[in-house]
Amino acid sequence: MAQESLGLLQGTVDVLILRTLSWTAMHGYGIARWISDRSEGALSVEDAALYQALHRLERKGLVESEWGMSEKNHRAKYYTITPAGRRQLKAEVAELRQYMGALFRVLDTA
Amino acid sequence: MSGQPRARREFRFAWRTKRQVTNDVDAELAFHLARRIEELTESGLSLEDARRAAAERFGNLEYTRRYCRDEDVRRERETRHTTMIEELKHDLVYAVRALRSAPGFALVALLTLALGIGANTAIFSVVRGVLLSPLPFPEADRVIRIWHVNKAENDPKSQVSEPDFLEWKVASKRFASLAAYWYAPGGSGADLTGTGTPERIQGAYFTPGFFETLRPRAALGRTIRSEEAVVGNDHFVVLSDGLWRRRFGGDHTIIGRALTIDGIPYTVVGVMPPEFTFPADRIDFWMPLSNMGPDAIGRQRASRFLDVFGRLAPGATVAQAHDELAEISRQTAEREQEARGWTDVAMLPVREALTGEVRRPLLLLLGAVAFVLLITCVNIASLLLARATARQRELAVRSALGAGRGRILRQLVTESLVLALLGGAMGLALAYAGVKALGAIGAGELPRAAAIRIDATVLLYTLGVSTLAGLLFGLLPAIRATSRNLQGVLRAGSRGSVGNAGQHLRSALVVAEVALAVILVVGAGLATKSFARLLDVNPGFTARNVLAVRLGMHYEKYGDARIRDYYQLLLDRIAAVPGVEAVGAAKDFPLRGVGELRPPTVPASAGSTEGDRKIRLPVLHVSADYFRAMGIPLRAGRGFTAADREDAPPVWIVNEAFAKKYFPNESPVGKVLRMGPAAIQIIGVVGDFRQKSLSEPAEPTAYIHYPQNMRAGLSLAIRTTGDPLRYANAVREAIWSVDRDQTITSVEPLSAIVGGAVARPRLLASLLLLFGIMGLTLGALGIYGVLAYAVSQRRQEIGVRVALGASPRSVLRLVVGQGMGLAVAGVVAGIAGAFVLTRLMSAVLFEVQATDPATFALVVVVLLGAALIASWLPARRALRIDPVQALRYD
Repeated sequence: MAQESLGLLQGTVDVLILRTLSWTAMHGYGIARWISDRSEGALSVEDAALYQALHRLERKGLVESEWGMSEKNHRAKYYTITPAGRRQLKAEVAELRQYMGALFRVLDTA
Repeated sequence: MSGQPRARREFRFAWRTKRQVTNDVDAELAFHLARRIEELTESGLSLEDARRAAAERFGNLEYTRRYCRDEDVRRERETRHTTMIEELKHDLVYAVRALRSAPGFALVALLTLALGIGANTAIFSVVRGVLLSPLPFPEADRVIRIWHVNKAENDPKSQVSEPDFLEWKVASKRFASLAAYWYAPGGSGADLTGTGTPERIQGAYFTPGFFETLRPRAALGRTIRSEEAVVGNDHFVVLSDGLWRRRFGGDHTIIGRALTIDGIPYTVVGVMPPEFTFPADRIDFWMPLSNMGPDAIGRQRASRFLDVFGRLAPGATVAQAHDELAEISRQTAEREQEARGWTDVAMLPVREALTGEVRRPLLLLLGAVAFVLLITCVNIASLLLARATARQRELAVRSALGAGRGRILRQLVTESLVLALLGGAMGLALAYAGVKALGAIGAGELPRAAAIRIDATVLLYTLGVSTLAGLLFGLLPAIRATSRNLQGVLRAGSRGSVGNAGQHLRSALVVAEVALAVILVVGAGLATKSFARLLDVNPGFTARNVLAVRLGMHYEKYGDARIRDYYQLLLDRIAAVPGVEAVGAAKDFPLRGVGELRPPTVPASAGSTEGDRKIRLPVLHVSADYFRAMGIPLRAGRGFTAADREDAPPVWIVNEAFAKKYFPNESPVGKVLRMGPAAIQIIGVVGDFRQKSLSEPAEPTAYIHYPQNMRAGLSLAIRTTGDPLRYANAVREAIWSVDRDQTITSVEPLSAIVGGAVARPRLLASLLLLFGIMGLTLGALGIYGVLAYAVSQRRQEIGVRVALGASPRSVLRLVVGQGMGLAVAGVVAGIAGAFVLTRLMSAVLFEVQATDPATFALVVVVLLGAALIASWLPARRALRIDPVQALRYD
């Protein structure tokens, strides 16, 4: 089930979303497309996990949402990152970088 | 991708409902799936395949839907709470600041509120304790008090004889159980000896089933069982908490010990909790009635001494129970000569029976304090209206800065609530002192006075009343203040435009205030007049300089033979005390008992067609000198002498009421009454005096010389030459010089007994008067406030008038006229209201009509007088206005 695989991915999905929104306000579909395009298809966030993460982040006050009009004039929900979200993104990226650095230092010497 | 203007978020008015949240989530996910399908069909898939692929790609749709919805609902709730708390915090800070910036207003408002809420809290705590708090036994509403009724003799509430009671008890099916007791204040007492000084203690003597019917819990030990209340197995006693603490220091080893009561040992089986004081507050013990033999209290049908109560059987109603006992009584009345006329019963729930007399006065007081608070609220509302005018600019600025009408309204109401709650807290402190005072005054005057205290319920009431008051005086001014176009105010001149409407509204409030004050003061006036009338009553005896001593007679100790000698010796010794002018004895003091009922047959009177009449009348045992000691005049015939002994022919003295009723055209002296085999001659007539109560004229009564009936307690009336209490010690010593072990129940001036009889009306009148004065002061304050404000607003106009040569007189007339106009309107409305409402007082008024014209007239004069003063002060200020300055002033 989606849930089981999420446990591992959750933190990463959050960071990816925050990072995406740090460029501009976007709707959920846009975020999915953006991540997939940016990673050239390597990173594909499951849609269910993406929306769960968006609403969770909104509750935590890291993103805000607003209804607006999409490029093709459909009503869509746009997310923006909040100042708290930016702080969180910075902290998590730093932590991730540290973690990965340490991980690869070990892997590379092996 | 369009960046949304963030400001729009600030203007979301309502919070989303759960349904809206669900719709939003669905719309969001639908948009996503639609885009995905679009993307997939563009890449060449058929619509069908695209749909399947999109769904597959999405993952668990249903779970996500629910997850997102739940997250959103939680977020809505959390932000709503934090926003509210934030705003409340802000409002509170703002409110305190606003109050501090207007200390004069805050002080007046807080003080009047504290008085109003304090009075309400104090009176409510009495009402709660006496009328509302649960009785100290379970399902008390099923316990019913029962009286016998004799319509023919106009006796609507008589105690019951033992034979009648036993018939009810055997036959009744509507009552699960019936029980009875004999209790007479100051009468049903016994001597406690053996431990410490001898003491006369007050008790209730009960029939089997007393405790089983009430089902109270003993605090210590247990209650007395039915099988322990029968002749041969009845030497048991239960103590009240009061006696246990007073006499035995709360000693837990008391259970099982034997106490000597009236010379006989009784085993203590239990101690009751402090709240169990049935049937009266001042009770010391409960003991089986079987200990009181038929020679002490007669058990024939004519001897009506039992108070009966019962617990309704499951499902039975009071009406059914009434019909049942009335039917039994009818059958007995047909069968038994002695029961003739006793064909009905009266019933009341035990709570009403205990508190019935004070119910109306207490509710009246509760109504009066509600009026005081109402006037306070109107007064503060009026002050707030004046302030709102002055604060228009401030509110306009807030409005311009983006605060919506609801927001400003909430801010203003918060201010009022802060004011009300602060006032309530101060009021609570006042009430605490008030309740202590009321409890002290009420002890002995109010039933269940021990239950009066400030507890959680009272606190809740105070909180509720304070909040209600805050809304009451805060809402109207707040709505008005926010109803106008606040932005327009900013553009108006530097001074806030007065708004005639505001002044009109304030005037209306003052009229209401005066009207309420009139009703309150009329009520106070009526109660005071009624009290004065009661004090003016000539009781028919002279209480001045009389010492009243109550004794219990040791009948068992002296026996038939010696008790008369003992009695006479007592009277002689007291009479020998220097300064004692006369000593008399009677079974009961006036206002403390009515003697015993007797059924003589009165012979036909001259000029009447009626033959012999069988009547029932109270008979009081008195000593020869009783009338002299009490200052009661002998109108005809002779008084008792030492020759009227027990072995002499029985003779009675009657009062004037008796003479007037039964022998209207002739003197009753020399007439002979029959009672059973005895022929009783009337030897004299004494002046009427009020035995039963001050408010009821004397009823036909007869008096027996003491030695002709020795079976009673003793009340000594001792006429002295000065302050009677100065002789108290000498009298005590004289009594003890005859018998060291003689217990003395009480020693007090007779005037205290008379005073005690008017204590309740005095309390009612003084409290109503206090509340009336509060109402009057607040009303005057209201008039003053409105006029003072009007004068300050009309400075220019008055200045112009003075400049144009208006005389001081005309300026005075202008201002005072306005004030008196309001007062007259209020008085008219108030008189109309009082005319309707004071009818509720009729039952507590003595010899005063609820619509007493003199009282109404006086109140009108007093209120208009107060209004005149309240108008005069601002008018004088208007006179001092300097026209030059007023015109220059902008």
